[in-house]
Amino acid sequence: MIRRILLSRAGGLEGFSPDQRWPSWCTAAAVATTVAIGVGGVLGITAGLADLAGNGDDTATLLVVGGTSALAAAVLHYWTKSSERVRDVDVLVAITGGLVGFCLYVACLFLLAGTTSNVVDALTDAVAAGTTTALGVVTPEMEDHGGRMLVAGAQWFGGLGALLFGVAILPFFGAGREFADRSRRGTRRPMTPDQATAVRNIMVIYGIVSGGTWLAYVLAGATPFESVLLAMATSSTGGMTAGATLDTAALQWVAVAGMFVAGTSLVVLWRLGHGHGRNLLRSAELRLYVGLLVGGILLFLLWTDGSGVDGARRAAFTVTSTLTTTGFPSEPGGSWAPAAPVLILGLASIGPMVGSAGGGFQILRHRILVQAAIREMLRQLHPRSLILVRLGGRVANEDTLSKVVVSQFLFVSAVFITGLVVAVCGLDLATALGAAVHAISTAGPVRSLDGIIIDPASWPDGVRLALLPAMVIGRLSVYPAFVAAGTGFASIRDRTGLRRQWRASRRDES
Amino acid sequence: MNSPRPGTKLTLGWWRRWSALWQKERRHTFAIPLPDRGVAGRGIWAGTTPHVAGLALFFVAAGMLVAGLVEMVGGDEGPAVLVAAAITAVVAGALWWPTRPGLLDHTTVFTAVGMTWVVASVIGALPYLLAGTFATVGQSWSVVLADALFESVSGFSTTGATVFGAHNPIEAQGAGILLYRQLTQWAGGMGIVVLVVMVLPALTSSGLGLIDAEAPGMGVDRLAPRIKATAARFWSLYLAFTAAVALGLLLAGMRPFDAVAHALSTASTGGFSTKDASIGHWDSVAVEGVILVSMIIGGASFALHNSALRERKFGYFRDRECRAYLTILCLTTALLAVLLVGDDAGTVGALRAAVFNVVAFGTSSGFNNATSAGALGDFAAWASGPQLLLLFLMVFGGCTGSTSGGVKVMRLRVGIGHAYRTLRSLRRPRALLPVRIGPASIPESIVERIAGFMVIYGLLVVGGTVVVAALGADLVSAFGGVISALGNMGPALGEAGPTSSYADAYPAPARLVLALLMLVGRLEIFPLLLMLVAPYRTVRTRSDRFLSALVDRRGS
Repeated sequence: MIRRILLSRAGGLEGFSPDQRWPSWCTAAAVATTVAIGVGGVLGITAGLADLAGNGDDTATLLVVGGTSALAAAVLHYWTKSSERVRDVDVLVAITGGLVGFCLYVACLFLLAGTTSNVVDALTDAVAAGTTTALGVVTPEMEDHGGRMLVAGAQWFGGLGALLFGVAILPFFGAGREFADRSRRGTRRPMTPDQATAVRNIMVIYGIVSGGTWLAYVLAGATPFESVLLAMATSSTGGMTAGATLDTAALQWVAVAGMFVAGTSLVVLWRLGHGHGRNLLRSAELRLYVGLLVGGILLFLLWTDGSGVDGARRAAFTVTSTLTTTGFPSEPGGSWAPAAPVLILGLASIGPMVGSAGGGFQILRHRILVQAAIREMLRQLHPRSLILVRLGGRVANEDTLSKVVVSQFLFVSAVFITGLVVAVCGLDLATALGAAVHAISTAGPVRSLDGIIIDPASWPDGVRLALLPAMVIGRLSVYPAFVAAGTGFASIRDRTGLRRQWRASRRDES
Repeated sequence: MNSPRPGTKLTLGWWRRWSALWQKERRHTFAIPLPDRGVAGRGIWAGTTPHVAGLALFFVAAGMLVAGLVEMVGGDEGPAVLVAAAITAVVAGALWWPTRPGLLDHTTVFTAVGMTWVVASVIGALPYLLAGTFATVGQSWSVVLADALFESVSGFSTTGATVFGAHNPIEAQGAGILLYRQLTQWAGGMGIVVLVVMVLPALTSSGLGLIDAEAPGMGVDRLAPRIKATAARFWSLYLAFTAAVALGLLLAGMRPFDAVAHALSTASTGGFSTKDASIGHWDSVAVEGVILVSMIIGGASFALHNSALRERKFGYFRDRECRAYLTILCLTTALLAVLLVGDDAGTVGALRAAVFNVVAFGTSSGFNNATSAGALGDFAAWASGPQLLLLFLMVFGGCTGSTSGGVKVMRLRVGIGHAYRTLRSLRRPRALLPVRIGPASIPESIVERIAGFMVIYGLLVVGGTVVVAALGADLVSAFGGVISALGNMGPALGEAGPTSSYADAYPAPARLVLALLMLVGRLEIFPLLLMLVAPYRTVRTRSDRFLSALVDRRGS
């Protein structure tokens, strides 16, 4: 009976009650939520097993909850039949629903595992981990391996989700061509010949990067368990170390290399893995990424009195951590010039390459924006000319340009609204702006003007709650979150008939 | 004697040929004066830019003359402003007399408008330099020069940011300099190029391009069939409005000099004052009321004022932009008042501070009603929430066709409509969804233009903040200063609050960057940037042609 109802609601069963069918976006959201619960269940089981190596207090709880969830997800997956017609908007709504569902599930795990008893703290940490934003407030005890694995694992799955989302989202932002390149000319092997292979390839690359980072950490002197935590935080650009420390120079250099790789586009890594690395520097985005890193490090050294090998390492660590939106904490080495915090904010909002696990507005979109700006200036001089925007030698689609411009508008609006809300909740102006930019860029940590890291635990609950939607919006590259919100609003409006009533009342008035 | 037209003597070798090509190119892109021997007997140089700039400088010189006479009547200063007027008149003559308006293509229009503003702002600094206004003890000449330039640009661009402060109070200045400051804002409010178009005999319909490039907003409403009549009508409305404000302030209890001075900066939504505490000096509800209403009127479209006065059509509430403008002001005032009441202020005091500051920021006037530093009207002492709200107002500005700065309400509405349309298009991929303002659909070309404008605006804010911070300002001051400068606001956040001086908040190089941004903001980005793009493109074109000519020669 339940299956019959679900199928009917999901649009998969003919004749039960056609008028009661859910729209296709609802089906997509249900599928995504199922996946989120399933992934959460796997995370719970993994954390439960990891807890065995620690004090083992939460092993039973985590295993039972995780196992039950995984089972429930499997049942739901069997019962829920996805709609035949999937629109772009359905995909975006599903992605948003999946991320929100995953974060809520992880928050429940935090509460059940006793990592924290405060709901706001649990929510903050879950969303921070799930969106790979280094703005967590709870540091699990060293023996609480389950809690530590939950934090690291949530980041890792969040990063993986971001990459998988990327394949779905990227076509909306013009970078889809690289992923949709299915040419098999010469010895080329496309990364995404079809959807299933794309998912597999992404998971393989992500796994190799994570494994390689883990190995490097182990070789640099970290314990195997701490290496797992650090590798997960690095490859996902999460930045929450869950109690593990990066206190030696060797570990920091490994982190720098790991973050650099994590901020690189998967396409670049794929081509590198298949021996097509010679032409990589033709990619303008990669060149810009490297240029930003080098330029950022030099400017940071200049503006923070840095010198010597230690200064260079600190600068490389801080700048790479910021640009890739990883957010590993680092204490300021010298006195910061007024421009240093601006540099940090700027780099965090720019972010790494499109097609990486990093956040921010990302380099390719900035390129598109600059190209659009130049085109508009040229149009002033030649109003009737047809000026095309080229990216990587190809003419950019007008629709893509329009969407990137709108994304920037929404990005800035989200920063402003978040900043306003957190400022009203009690943060000072510089911290409010910093927190808003970091949350939407899924970066972190927020620093004061002299470079000291501000602990988000010291902020009022209202501030932390206000930052949660910003983190989700940022993780979803802004656009899908607004689409999902708009679709939800439109659905409620249509179902309650508010618009019809309003129009009728206006008609009556006129 | 008739001389051959340029480009005909091509037999004197490749250098002459290339030189002729260069001159032709330069005429079309730079609009720099060129010897045009083709016009018999006139012996003048063709060049729209110097001609327009020269004529504009005559008006600047006239303003200096008025201020100089006031100074002489007051007798408290030397004839510095009169000397500046004489020098300006000479420079104006040197630019105007030997030139005549030439080709008016898009590049020339932008170059003419951009260069006119740059030249007026630079020459406009002369009175400050000659009077030694900023030459305080221990100040280096470069800082004095930067301060004079900053004050001049701030005046002409109607920004109202000032480098006067506790170390060099406004009230210690002579009447001539004070009046000159106010006059620069008044001239900048309606636009000096509009003034030029009004009197320039050679410009006909092409003058609309000049006005369009200078006027704030997305285009100019023709108030009359002829463009000169349109320019004249704009200025006559502006003059009448200024006179009305002066009368209102006089009745509210200001001295005649202060009333006229504040009328000049209120009508232009500039924000300069003759007092260090700005409008807070009077601490008068009547004065604040007159200023408040005048600022709201100044932030609305002058085309609406024209139809209200001449055609008796009171279309303020029918016009959607004006309605949105008033709605934003009302809502922000209410929100700000609530936040300020929660900030331990009394209800009446909070409302008074909120309404005045919201209107001052929403119209980009930048006046303030704080009686002293830390008083209720001093928004620098407010919590960060209300300050961010003011930051939002700094960005949006007033209506199209007004004297205010900022992005403008219409652009904001179209931007929001564009974003909404793009989001909706995902749900209805096959639907044809135009951007609408009321029943009217906005053409796609305008939507794209506005989207491009907002992108450039955003990039300028980010780039400007980085540069100003790199020059020594802190994050909040840099960000607030850049937004304030681009929106022609005046006071900014952080160290550059309403009771502070830009001289204390920013180092001299940062002040120059902010001055540049003020001009960019006043001309709504394109003229000043394209003025810089044109030489680059010319050099590139020339070098390309030169190289291809070389290749051709070698080939032959």
